[in-house]
Amino acid sequence: MWLPFLGLLLGLALGLLTDIQIPVVYENYLSIAVLAALDTIFGGIRANLQQVYDDKVFLSGFFFNIALAAGLAFLGVHLGVDLYLAAIFAFGVRLFQNIAVIRRILITKWEERHIKKGENTV
Amino acid sequence: MKKRNYNSKFTKKQFIVLIVCISTGFMIGYSYNLAKDEVKMNSNYLEQEESYREELISQQERNKELTEELIALQTKRREYEKDFAENEEEYEHLLKEAENLRLLLGEIPAHGEGIRVTLKDGEYNPNSTNPNEYIVHESHVFNVINELKVSGAEAISINGQRLKSNSYIRCNGPVITIDGKQYPAPFIIEAVGDQETLISALKITGGVFDQLLNDRIVVTIEENDYIQMPSINDE
Repeated sequence: MWLPFLGLLLGLALGLLTDIQIPVVYENYLSIAVLAALDTIFGGIRANLQQVYDDKVFLSGFFFNIALAAGLAFLGVHLGVDLYLAAIFAFGVRLFQNIAVIRRILITKWEERHIKKGENTV
Repeated sequence: MKKRNYNSKFTKKQFIVLIVCISTGFMIGYSYNLAKDEVKMNSNYLEQEESYREELISQQERNKELTEELIALQTKRREYEKDFAENEEEYEHLLKEAENLRLLLGEIPAHGEGIRVTLKDGEYNPNSTNPNEYIVHESHVFNVINELKVSGAEAISINGQRLKSNSYIRCNGPVITIDGKQYPAPFIIEAVGDQETLISALKITGGVFDQLLNDRIVVTIEENDYIQMPSINDE
């Protein structure tokens, strides 16, 4: 249960400690990649809660989303169109949807437990 | 068996989640670092802007100082101009004086009322063996010229030859040499100036006129209302 948080903290520490400089041009890609990663993680949590979680989907989704977002941004930079906005929009919407679903599931679960508790006590 | 099952579960699911979480965390941390750098850069820009602003302010202050200096100098100049206007009369006076001095130097042609003094050798005196006693010497000419100069003659000429400030007059037997040109008697000395003053100066008792008569020289003094003399440069 605590393993994901541990991993997140470890990654954060690594990211904060690395001192590699990347060109300013690629900062857009990084922000999109972060968004894609967050989207995948929340998607995974939702899938887990809905009991449709699949390792392959999760892993492939993670890397494919990141690659797709980066590719879109790359294309956008070279075409002179801000295509990365499309990626940000899509991921943003999905992020919110996923979080909403997670919230709803958690609320229903909590209510169920509460009702059960109430039945038990009564 | 149970343990292996747990292990396999860990390896399959949790491992993937761990990897994904680590990479996500890494990306987030890295982005944070980058954003921090950017903020730092922005603050650098701010510092630069600040320094430019300070420079600008100092320049403006310098401008102000210079403007004040300019105003001070202009005021000074105006004072000078006022001074100048006040002194203009004086300048006119100086100009007149300069003109007079030029006349004396003979640099410009002179004309106006004046007198003409003619010095002629005395009558031949058979009793005298020395002709020096009745001919005009350069000293007589000197005397006349000096007297004229002292009494304010603007310009003097001898036999039409304008005298300079550094003219030389030499006795050369029966003739006198003025600036290399020889002139015989009679000598006509013309002087531009106030007639009354000049004549009275010459005719003062015991003065030049009397001395000349004493030396038995025939002297005539005429008043002339208009005498014209060339400048020394015209010759």
